[in-house]
Amino acid sequence: MGVTCVSQMPVAEGKSVQQTVELLTRKLEMLGAEKQGTFCVDCETYHTAASTLGSQGQAGKLMYVMHNSEHPLSCFALFENGPCLIADTNFDVLMVKLKGFFQSAKASKIETRGTRYQYCDFLVKVGTVTMGPSARGISVEVEYGPCVVASDCWSLLLEFLQSFLGSHTPGAPAVFANRHDAVYSPADTMVQYMELFNKIRKQQQVPVAGIR
Amino acid sequence: MADVLSVGVNLEAFSQAISAIQALRSSVSRVFDCLKDGMRNKETLEGREKAFIAHFQDNLHSVNRDLNELERLSNLVGKPSENHPLHNSGLLSLDPVQDKTPLYSQLLQAYKWSNKLQYHAGLASGLLNQQSLKRSANQMGVSAKRRPKAQPTTLVLPPQYVDDVISRIDRMFPEMSIHLSRPNGTSAMLLVTLGKVLKVIVVMRSLFIDRTIVKGYNEDVHTEDGKLDIWSKSNYQVFQKVTDHATTALLHYQLPQMPDVVVRSFMTWLRSYIKLFQAPCQRCGKFLQDGLPPTWRDFRTLEAFHDTCRQ
Repeated sequence: MGVTCVSQMPVAEGKSVQQTVELLTRKLEMLGAEKQGTFCVDCETYHTAASTLGSQGQAGKLMYVMHNSEHPLSCFALFENGPCLIADTNFDVLMVKLKGFFQSAKASKIETRGTRYQYCDFLVKVGTVTMGPSARGISVEVEYGPCVVASDCWSLLLEFLQSFLGSHTPGAPAVFANRHDAVYSPADTMVQYMELFNKIRKQQQVPVAGIR
Repeated sequence: MADVLSVGVNLEAFSQAISAIQALRSSVSRVFDCLKDGMRNKETLEGREKAFIAHFQDNLHSVNRDLNELERLSNLVGKPSENHPLHNSGLLSLDPVQDKTPLYSQLLQAYKWSNKLQYHAGLASGLLNQQSLKRSANQMGVSAKRRPKAQPTTLVLPPQYVDDVISRIDRMFPEMSIHLSRPNGTSAMLLVTLGKVLKVIVVMRSLFIDRTIVKGYNEDVHTEDGKLDIWSKSNYQVFQKVTDHATTALLHYQLPQMPDVVVRSFMTWLRSYIKLFQAPCQRCGKFLQDGLPPTWRDFRTLEAFHDTCRQ
């Protein structure tokens, strides 16, 4: 697992999500990247149940259960600022049993699906973020396989991102700042995806009838 | 060329054991023949059964006898000596088809030839150093005489000496750790870990570097049985490129009389890769060229260049 940067690509002016994705993939193909299948990252939200809250009335914490097609046999469970658990796929079944403690938030499932591209040692994934039937945004993930220390290769990643994202290049993700010289792990990627999904959820607050 | 198995083998017992195997084979086939033929024609059913059972028992007894004889002989035969001086390559001599695949004889000739070549090259370099083209020849001559000729044939060095040199180099650089092992005979195999950037497997022949393979920090350098994997390439293009550069480097740093200086310079050159992903190219100023970071390190100045940007 190499250093990964997850960012959001704003939808181009006057174009739909689909067309922007197509623009991006065309740019990638011109750069020389090869298509290598598809990917999917999804996320479900759970509230801690009211019965387990302490007498001080602390706010319930949100727990996110995520899957990544890059690690098909694993399941990631993380709290917002807390630890990330990497378990195997039986964890989903366990969540059903823990219904008393964690309740699923309604209509909370958010996912991103798209194609994978390989360019030299870079793995680029461009996906459409959907919540229910509607497309809400575009996620771009770039992984540089050979390097495992985040602080080492940020400049390199930045240069690559600039070559095909142009002006929409993001800043350094927060996880990079936290993990100086520590080996990068898949949990860090999932934290980035969780932040991205939360940002997209907050973006379109306008409730459209039939979705909520 | 004929490689005689050492005197641990009792040749007579060996030939007797081979004939015992033949006897055993024939008695086993007799058992199966007897089963195949079934009962012979006799007057009464009982008579037939008795004859069959007696015949079958006889055959089984003879099998048992032959097996015991074989076991006794095999204990006498003994084992060929295990400390074969040429290890795996000595096993090549067991191939019987000598005229079609004369691998072993060719291998011995190549080995002797390369040893002689090394020896002659050493002598030649000693003579040539005396006739130096530089004006300041006096200094060279004096120091050459002062330095004791401790290793006349640098190909055959005691393993302890090699271990010492490597451990001294290991202590030289804090971010580089070298682990030495000898899984295949006397040639040392080093696993060099450079920070959290890469791992290098260096295969040596006494104190000369033979081959290197560079892999990523997160790649597995061992095979399934836990041994050091010295053949498979890295999965990443950048490290495949660095492997090519490392091979060029070990061809560049050559000094037949002072192999420890060679190893030291090679390790110093390798250490410059600690900033493989952080250093931009000195010529074009960019990080990426065709998706690769600057993988070339100049041999004298240790500056980073892209492979296409050097010189």
